[in-house]
Amino acid sequence: MKKAVPILLTLGLGAALLAGCSGSANNESGSAAAGNESGNNAAGGKVKLTAIITKHPLTEELAKMKWLQDAEDRAGVDIQWQEVTADWDQKKGALLAGGDVPDLIVGPNAISDADIAQFPGLFQDLTDLVAKDAPNVQAMFNDKPETKVIATQTDGKIYGLPKYQRFWPATATRQFINQKWLDHLGLKMPTTWDELFNVLKAFKDQDANGNGDPNDEIPMDFAPTGTGGFGYFQPTVLLGSEGITLTDGSGTGYFVEDGKVKNFLTDDRYKQMVEFLHKCYAAGLINPEVFTQDYTKFQSVARGTGDTAKVGFTWGWEVTDRFGNQLAPQYTSVAPLKVSADSTAKLSWDYDYNSLNYGSNMVVMSAKTKNKDAAMKFINELYDPKVSMQVLFGSLGTNIKDNGDGSYTVLPPADKNMDPGTWKWTSTWADNGPMYIADSLKLTLGTDMQSVGKQTEPLMGALGAVNPRTDVLPSMFIKYSTDDNNAMSLVNTNMMTLAIAKYSQWITKGGIENEWDGYVKNLEKIGLPNNLKIMQKYYDDYKSKA
Amino acid sequence: MVFPAIVVVLLFNYVPMYGIQLAFRDYDFTKGLTGGAWRGLHYFEQFVTNYMFADLMKNTVTISLATIILGFPAPIVLALILNQVKWRRAKKTLQTTVYLPHFISIVVMVGLLNVLLSPNTGIVGHILDWLGWGDFNMLASTRAFVPVYVLSDIWQHCGWNSIIYLAALSTVDPQLYDSAKIDGAGRWQTILHVDLPAIKPTIIILFILSMGNVLGTGFEKVFLMQNALNLPVSEVIVTYVYKIGIISNQFSYSAAIGLFNTLINFIFLVAMNAISRRASNISLW
Repeated sequence: MKKAVPILLTLGLGAALLAGCSGSANNESGSAAAGNESGNNAAGGKVKLTAIITKHPLTEELAKMKWLQDAEDRAGVDIQWQEVTADWDQKKGALLAGGDVPDLIVGPNAISDADIAQFPGLFQDLTDLVAKDAPNVQAMFNDKPETKVIATQTDGKIYGLPKYQRFWPATATRQFINQKWLDHLGLKMPTTWDELFNVLKAFKDQDANGNGDPNDEIPMDFAPTGTGGFGYFQPTVLLGSEGITLTDGSGTGYFVEDGKVKNFLTDDRYKQMVEFLHKCYAAGLINPEVFTQDYTKFQSVARGTGDTAKVGFTWGWEVTDRFGNQLAPQYTSVAPLKVSADSTAKLSWDYDYNSLNYGSNMVVMSAKTKNKDAAMKFINELYDPKVSMQVLFGSLGTNIKDNGDGSYTVLPPADKNMDPGTWKWTSTWADNGPMYIADSLKLTLGTDMQSVGKQTEPLMGALGAVNPRTDVLPSMFIKYSTDDNNAMSLVNTNMMTLAIAKYSQWITKGGIENEWDGYVKNLEKIGLPNNLKIMQKYYDDYKSKA
Repeated sequence: MVFPAIVVVLLFNYVPMYGIQLAFRDYDFTKGLTGGAWRGLHYFEQFVTNYMFADLMKNTVTISLATIILGFPAPIVLALILNQVKWRRAKKTLQTTVYLPHFISIVVMVGLLNVLLSPNTGIVGHILDWLGWGDFNMLASTRAFVPVYVLSDIWQHCGWNSIIYLAALSTVDPQLYDSAKIDGAGRWQTILHVDLPAIKPTIIILFILSMGNVLGTGFEKVFLMQNALNLPVSEVIVTYVYKIGIISNQFSYSAAIGLFNTLINFIFLVAMNAISRRASNISLW
């Protein structure tokens, strides 16, 4: 008896632990299964579904979105949502490896092509379901054939549905300068790198913001560089001055020029840009914390204190988003700069039209879903022209006004303290939702989107000269085989570890002249040429079909 | 009575080990952990011949060894000092103060470092400025990364780790101190000849155990402290496994790297154990 007690305790504890572990992992499927079994005869004849959405941290609870409740009602489903705002990558790994996915997963590329290839049989092939239950999705495929290209995997099947949101500009990154500082110091708007350097130097030396402290100005600031690659709002857009058209931020350096896939990391023009940035850094013109601050700090620094601006020249999405409502009027958008007055390079800019307006795998369905037709009918509702508009901007009545004549207007925020962008992200799924905004929809946009358009105008000359067929890497439309994808991502991971470290080191400490050749050799050793060869093959293949 | 312990260890430590096969196979989701095609040492070869291999090993070993060499003696010294404090209330207060930082979570800790070391706004930044090293950004320097990592680690955990030595010191027979005094020993000599021999077995065992962690640099702190500028010294095996395994979905490859890491830890552990058994007859087994 004495011996039996601890043994029982141990076994009991072990069992409890095991139950605890599997319990947390299986929660989703447990309730899903229970929901589905009783689904068809539940009250009101509604089909119960489970779903995960990866939403923006600002976005309010889904239960408060009227358009969503209406869409669920019309599709005859009752969805139990799990709302994920952070650490999706880690959660996803556990979810997929465990094989227990909810009926629907919603979010931009929440399940990537690589995941679909890695976990065969986990997700539902939607090809037949779209034809049968989803006329709205079918309409999108017909009107915009490229959306079907985005959706179709290498095996010809469709697992995730894309989105098209039409209104977004051709680039995510705009270039801003403090016009008030320029006027205050009697300077002209810079048009070349050298002029920019002189303007920044004046910002630094002459108390540009006029608060009596000549040392609190930060002449240039850019978004933090992640350890995995470049992104938006970074000085890599200066490569446009040398004729390189970045695409979707060119996070790992790949771009297309005259139909050839290249990588700027080994390009002499990139070397020249880094040299220029080092010249600026050495002169104290770049925020010394530029490589160590996080995005929140990057944003808050630019918002200054009261009427006193801190930052002279920087990159961002939209002027109120970047500098806050109070300082925004001080800034203007700058056209792409030339390298020097006699430079003959064709000016270009970061071309992001595809990634801003299209999205892949916005919604996927589990292969185990009991009532696939009902789930597809709900998805179809999301692609309804009127619903899609509400997915993007919020409910009719509170966020969008129906003008009665078939046209609509996006209303200003109900909360007066919020800017329109923040309001949109708070009250609906916004860009994170599956949707199809037809080109024929008559909708007057909010002030934020109108001002984005206005601030993009100085860039339009350069962007208009970009030929999407020969100068843009159509990443979104190309599907790689699993083996190629794995091989390439391994090379990219190694390559970026070296490249990002060198990039930040060369800007802050210099030394690119001596290290360049060795660095290029190392990138080749890591496997860059092979990646370019693979990408060129797929790119040529894509072009021959499109 | 050992039986329950055996069950627990088997269940939680040995049963899950079947998963390491993943390092020798292609991971195939449809067939489970054990179903993919057998690749033998393919993934190990891939890692050893990887361009990053030398750097990863160097960084991992540097950070781990620095943590052990500087971090290991610190709690011993602290315990010996605390043991000399005779006023009970001062000793208690001191002890509590030094072990409180242990409870700060790593995320908060790195946040603190970011705030304190920021060259524009941090207090350390201002002190450096005052000393005339204004341009020195500790968070961004490849030279400062390891010292910042190790010193903040010592500051955080030294107090907590000293507890075990204090416990060992408390078992010393007071008569030994008295007789040492009668023999004319000063404070320094009591520490050298009474205190240290008393905690020697504890020191050796803990040292052997910590050697087993030579390549086990904690993931979170390194990962959180990583930025574009310190990447050449802060990319270690575990952060690389994260990038390859979780971000790039290469489970077999990351499993192989993880196993390789464990294997090296094991070799260090066995070697240290053997050395200490020869030298002082104190060993784990």
